[in-house]
Amino acid sequence: MSITELPLAVAAPLFERLSEQKKAEVVRDLSILLGARYVLSSPYDLMLYEYDASIDRSKPDIVVLPSTTEEVAEIVKIAARYDIPVVPRGAGTGLSGGAVPIYGGIVIVFARMNRILEVDYENLRAVVQPGLVNLHLSNALNSTGFYYVPDPSSQRSCTIGGNVGENAGGPHTLIYGVTTNHVLGLEIVTADGEILQVGDWTPDVPGYDLTGLIVGSEGTLCIVTKIIVKMVHLPEAVKTLVAIFDSLDDASNTVSEIISSGVIPSAIEMMDQMILQAVEADSQAGYPLDAAAVLLMESEGMAEGVREQVEAIVRVCEQHRARSVRIAANEEERQRFWAGRKNAFGAVGRICPEFYVQDGVVPRTRLPQVLRRISEICASYGLRVGNVFHAGDGNLHPLILFDSQIPGEIERVRQAGHEILQVCADAGGTITGEHGVGLEKQEEMALIFSETDLRVMQQVREAWNPRQLLNPGKLFPQPGRCAEVKQL
Amino acid sequence: MIEIETFIREMQDNIPDLQVINNPEHLSNYAIDGLLPRLVVKPRNAQEVSGVVALANQRGLTTLARGGGSRMHLGSIPESLDILIETGKLTRLLEHEAPDLTCQVEAGISLAELQSQLGTKGQWLPLDAPDPAQATVGGILASNASGPKRLRYGTARDLVIGLQVVQANGEIARSGGRVVKNVAGYDLNKLYIGSLGTLGVIVEANFKLQPIPANERTLLLTFSNSQDAMQTVISILGSQLTPSALELIDAGAANDMSDFFGLNLPTNGYTLALDFEGSLTIIERQIDEARLIARTNGALLGDDLAGNEQEQFWNVVREHLDGSVTCKAAILVSQIALYLQKLAEICQRHDLESAVIAHAGNGILYIELRPGDATTRLVEAIAELRKSAREARGSLVVERCPVDLKRRLNVWGEPGANFRLMQRLKNQFDPKGTFVKGRFVGGL
Repeated sequence: MSITELPLAVAAPLFERLSEQKKAEVVRDLSILLGARYVLSSPYDLMLYEYDASIDRSKPDIVVLPSTTEEVAEIVKIAARYDIPVVPRGAGTGLSGGAVPIYGGIVIVFARMNRILEVDYENLRAVVQPGLVNLHLSNALNSTGFYYVPDPSSQRSCTIGGNVGENAGGPHTLIYGVTTNHVLGLEIVTADGEILQVGDWTPDVPGYDLTGLIVGSEGTLCIVTKIIVKMVHLPEAVKTLVAIFDSLDDASNTVSEIISSGVIPSAIEMMDQMILQAVEADSQAGYPLDAAAVLLMESEGMAEGVREQVEAIVRVCEQHRARSVRIAANEEERQRFWAGRKNAFGAVGRICPEFYVQDGVVPRTRLPQVLRRISEICASYGLRVGNVFHAGDGNLHPLILFDSQIPGEIERVRQAGHEILQVCADAGGTITGEHGVGLEKQEEMALIFSETDLRVMQQVREAWNPRQLLNPGKLFPQPGRCAEVKQL
Repeated sequence: MIEIETFIREMQDNIPDLQVINNPEHLSNYAIDGLLPRLVVKPRNAQEVSGVVALANQRGLTTLARGGGSRMHLGSIPESLDILIETGKLTRLLEHEAPDLTCQVEAGISLAELQSQLGTKGQWLPLDAPDPAQATVGGILASNASGPKRLRYGTARDLVIGLQVVQANGEIARSGGRVVKNVAGYDLNKLYIGSLGTLGVIVEANFKLQPIPANERTLLLTFSNSQDAMQTVISILGSQLTPSALELIDAGAANDMSDFFGLNLPTNGYTLALDFEGSLTIIERQIDEARLIARTNGALLGDDLAGNEQEQFWNVVREHLDGSVTCKAAILVSQIALYLQKLAEICQRHDLESAVIAHAGNGILYIELRPGDATTRLVEAIAELRKSAREARGSLVVERCPVDLKRRLNVWGEPGANFRLMQRLKNQFDPKGTFVKGRFVGGL
């Protein structure tokens, strides 16, 4: 998916690239701190860390793998001393370029800080290190009947630290909320290299809600080194339904009516025809190829409640002319339904070498109009698009297919993406529901926020990371890059 | 600093017909910890709030927003207070997008009025803060007020999706938006919630809403000791049951309720109230299972409440304690029983009485201490209670107390090492000190 170097910035960069001599000095200092094994600096070793799952890429100068919070703090101090940027990185599954070090410098990889430090079943809390893989936490808790709720589609590889950075969501956040609703406290390293705790095991800590501010700040305020999360009881019953529709509008209207009728399932996912065909070619989940859209829905909780909710959902689907509604008969069938959804991105890879995924959110009632506009926009650029997304909270994921070998195609993709986000903004929505702004949507921030709004947000970065030592050049429109967008 | 009369003239030139109160007799109704504002203004919309703050900022005066005034007792004694901005005229429900389960509302609307308007479409804001007739949305957000049902629905931080906030220079800035999922930019909503007006004046809010549950029932259980009661709470939290509230009421509080509200609660031991919402089938199953869990933990009896009786019960519980000295301790759920034991010991040592109502499922205890004029004993007892709360990984805030007690203790407790981060935020957001200082943590 990573296909292109970032266009050259027009304005002077925030940081100069490191000279070979300075780099050697920094590598020496870091090696003394961490041991040479955990400091990577050869071009071969660095290649893996120049991209995430977004379009942009840029090489770090040095990659480090600390094993303790104290080491992270020392790394930041060394970086401050040499005035070189530091970018934290989880598993590199981010979709907005948050972990791409556009000015080079040091990338901190948390692969060695991947432990579960504490689990407290009485108070339903767990303390984890940022490098812990999301699914590994739930796997560790499952046997005792608990789990960690936020489940991004990349949960097999993405880390909880990365989830905190992006305030990640997932299909099951409809009733339970996203990462920020499940994080109570953090240990952080500030831009000065100071180790602090914010929030706690208990709620309502006196003072500003620093935890809430840091979750979703994309590594631009501090580096998170420890996370206190809530655990939730596994539901006793889960039912998964697939409803098949001959029209996209009927499927969209079903979503908004289910929600507005007061039935809030744990997940409502939508896949359109293009995605269905890709998924079927890949994993034979049993979706009809001629359907216009499929809704994949899940209800969970107490058995009686699930039964009532499933009945209500089926009723609404039928009222909106669903061709059929199928309830997974057993766990095997349920897994098959979900495999289709969770592997959708991969399946699309079979029909097209590259795709670009957007993350806009609109009020659920606006889904029919917005989906139509997305088709029109992509058609006008001669691009194919498929939609597979969290319909229950209006969080769109249009996948625009392209081939970077075709001259000018990437620019058309970026431009179509921009227009789609404009449509989302105009519909009263936002430009990103769970992927973050990163590098990718910096300019689009201006679609939903005024200059005043953005200035106020930047005060926070000014307060904590004034030199932009931590993850520089992200999140906000860059003075230098505005010009390029206009050229497109 | 300029003469207040000059300021009023200037302000009224900018904002025609702005209602201003500056006669001392009326101002005395607005005293905070005995401190009178120099004037009170009653703007009619966000632009007028913005105008007042902008001018105050230029002229070096301090401002403080006030909603319904039900939580002005929070915080330390303010350093100064020039202009009190009463938001009571900002009462419009701007939009209620019922099919999307969201709304946009001005900050001065009372919670009760908002709920009644949302109720016409079968929805509500699932925030059951105390004093809903008086408390405004803006005040609830600024003070992060919550109620028993936070167990199920969370607090303001889980329900707010967007805010409009007047900044120190008078500009209006938006954070978040109108949709339920949004990670664009810093989540400043979280920063403003609970910041007690030190960073800006909240003038509008967007919320996620919920359908009003079809049914509700309350199970009352009685225990002879707090260990059994809390063991029941912990078992329920670790089970399939999903109560909306788990409220623990001690004998002192039960006594008050019986005396003042005519509720008939057992006045020795502990009462545990469990609130269940949803379909009748689910409620019944949950009540049955809760009774079973309670029985294995030695519960004495188990009534249940419905209808008016239930409504009145929760109204009384929600107001928790409004004696002259009340503290809020937030501690680990597993430590509540021990903490209550320590509370009894501390009170005995200092010859004080106490009453407790706790959001037991969240680890939040509202503690009333009496008599409220035993200043020296209270100072000592509160210091010990705070130390015990810290040992239970928590905090203790004195929410309400007489001014002479405020002079003798820090109502918030000493700020931690991360206070520097808070100071830097305050300096960025309000460099000239336009928003009254002294009330919030560490004097922010």
